[in-house]
Amino acid sequence: MAREIITLTVNGDTREILVSDRQTLLDVIRDQLSLTGTKRGCTTGACGVCTVNNAQGEAVLSCLTPALEWDGESIVTIEGLEQNGELDAIQTAFIEYGAVQCGFCTPGVIMSAKAVINAHPEPTEEQINAGMAGVLCRCTGHIKVKDALRNDHLIRARSET
Amino acid sequence: MLLPAHAYVRPGSLDDCLIALREAGDAGQIVAGGTDVIFNMRLKLFRPETVISVRKLRELQDIEPLPDGGVRIGAACRLHDLTEHPLLNGRWPAFTDAIRQLASRHVRNMGTLGGNICLKTRCWYTNNSAQWRAGRAGCFKTDGQLCHVIKSSDKCHAINNADTPVILIALGATLTIRKVGAERQLPIVDLYHDDGLHNLALDVDELVTHVTIPPVDDRTVYVKQAARKGIDFAIGSVAARCNGAGEWAGKVTLVLGSVSTAPIVLKEPAAIIESSGLTDEAIERACDAVRDELGEVTNLYSRAGYKKQVARVLVRRALQRLREM
Repeated sequence: MAREIITLTVNGDTREILVSDRQTLLDVIRDQLSLTGTKRGCTTGACGVCTVNNAQGEAVLSCLTPALEWDGESIVTIEGLEQNGELDAIQTAFIEYGAVQCGFCTPGVIMSAKAVINAHPEPTEEQINAGMAGVLCRCTGHIKVKDALRNDHLIRARSET
Repeated sequence: MLLPAHAYVRPGSLDDCLIALREAGDAGQIVAGGTDVIFNMRLKLFRPETVISVRKLRELQDIEPLPDGGVRIGAACRLHDLTEHPLLNGRWPAFTDAIRQLASRHVRNMGTLGGNICLKTRCWYTNNSAQWRAGRAGCFKTDGQLCHVIKSSDKCHAINNADTPVILIALGATLTIRKVGAERQLPIVDLYHDDGLHNLALDVDELVTHVTIPPVDDRTVYVKQAARKGIDFAIGSVAARCNGAGEWAGKVTLVLGSVSTAPIVLKEPAAIIESSGLTDEAIERACDAVRDELGEVTNLYSRAGYKKQVARVLVRRALQRLREM
């Protein structure tokens, strides 16, 4: 098992990490960096709970990508949304609209929602559906999640004033 | 859960990549987005000794307009980037529409065009974990000598579930395939074999580097049926193309995907529309003719009778959509 040192920026913090070629990005995030907010679900690309954002702010599945591939890149996990003790607007929206039940899928759902907001600050119904189709919530459903996404810009405006 | 042991190679150039591919031989595997390859490695469906990453190869990233009005697309272009490309959306809208219907945004953010073209065939038996598969005898794909889908068959009947080949066949796309010291062009329709185990006409040292789509002024459409349209593989999909306007239609192409091991070019239904036009009556006759060209339809993922019905309905929808364009 070959090991290599990669440089990875996680939530703005650049680190050098010794990874093996058998590890995925998810393994590194959870087991080596102890950022266990990102969940391990199906590990086959069907459930989306391992979603993190790449440098472009897009949603990617950390379970399906070898860690070595991320040398020199930058990612944001659920732990990186909070800034200086303040929750991100999308997190506040999830709380206010009750878009959480058991919470297992929530990190993946929120990072997918964040990717939608990054691309479309006031997303249309179609943009929400396209961006959120890749994550599954099996308890609270997707209605409240969509409510949170639709109203994220209101919460952002409120916190900016 | 670690991936099975392998050496992960990240060549710096296409030439280095081709050399690594040749050296790896049978035990080599190209990976780009990882959404298919890493998933199959997790299932221990194949255990490559060398995994060669092409994701960051500069030579495979370009979308280059050609003087004749066509376009040459690098195989490592991400699927999502293609859907956002103004030229592709403007000139080949059915192509980008097909990609938007492919899997979820998450997968399209990672997966590449070349990866979808070379997607492994899928089957309810093989696409389960190694522990699950151990409950039954191995099949052609898993070191055994039978096909669980058609027990008496002498070959693997896994399904080609990819979306882009279906529309690219209808558009008459050509692949550029390279190996060390050689390059060839292959019409994409000739890439696919009717054998689930060796479904691609590619040698182990060959790599699909580019896809060339010729200029197309015809009406084109891609329709897909899936359990959940935002994420699932197709139960069936149809790409249709013809020239003319309204009911008048010439040079009809109909391609059916996700029902068989290789995409099927439907000949008789296309001939019916060419001779009779896109009238309601001709469309019904074309739909009646679909069943005869499906070959051996398996009970894979859904019942054979259902799949035949899906194929019929998708052909009808595609032809009706063409008429409205």
